[in-house]
Amino acid sequence: MNRSLVILLAALALGAAIFAGSYFTARHATVMCCAKPADDLDWLRTEFSLSDAEMARVRELHEGYLPKCAAMCAKIAAKKSELESVLGTGTNLTAEAQTKLKEIGELRAQCQAQMLQHFITVSQAMPPDQGQRYLAEMKRRTLGTNELMEQSMSGETGHEHHH
Amino acid sequence: MGGGQKSAAFQLMKENNFQPDDSQLSALLRESRGMPALPPRFQQNVWRRIEDAEASVRPAAWLDSLAALILRPRFAVAVASVLLLAGILSGTLEGWQVARHDAQVNYLAAVAPQAAR
Repeated sequence: MNRSLVILLAALALGAAIFAGSYFTARHATVMCCAKPADDLDWLRTEFSLSDAEMARVRELHEGYLPKCAAMCAKIAAKKSELESVLGTGTNLTAEAQTKLKEIGELRAQCQAQMLQHFITVSQAMPPDQGQRYLAEMKRRTLGTNELMEQSMSGETGHEHHH
Repeated sequence: MGGGQKSAAFQLMKENNFQPDDSQLSALLRESRGMPALPPRFQQNVWRRIEDAEASVRPAAWLDSLAALILRPRFAVAVASVLLLAGILSGTLEGWQVARHDAQVNYLAAVAPQAAR
């Protein structure tokens, strides 16, 4: 093989190795350094540039909300297990099962309302522009998942039902 | 004595007969050389061969000059530094985005469990 071509290929391989090595090392170091899974609120501080005072208020709201959220989740889980026991191994949807489904739906609605109220309260503890951004992001993240599913089922995204 | 007379006579003859612009003499000399006839399209063929030779040499020359450039220590160090810096910058940016996404997922998991969505 031509000597110049060998030099060129070796230089390309060396260059790629230098870039890849520095890229993966820096990426790993940054993920290790910046990811703090111990604190759930770390994202809020960095994303919305909150001051210590704002952060303290948000933390207070967050800690007040968590037990309510956990209680609501426990209620939903209990109602779901009731539904499963009512459904059992039967092949018919009984009136009791329908009642359980309705109750689960109501609990979910209450839970979502409580969650949205928490987001609104937290957004008010932030500077106005950041608060609006936070609220929009939270709505998109939490309510958007159901909307996507409903849109796909109703055929708005191009999906069609075939009976 | 006789040799000296001969030489003087030759010198006299040369001065009288030699004329540099003698066209008849030039034509005679040209004819006496007996040049063969050129093949048809001789000039075009010559130029084509020159072009072909240059074309086959060009890529190798380009590769050689690039290899020579790569082997220059200053150039090699500069390129390696740029690649290293670009790798560090893009890796840091990507790592920061991954960390940001993870932190966001942690927050969402805390305030909006899957059951509530």
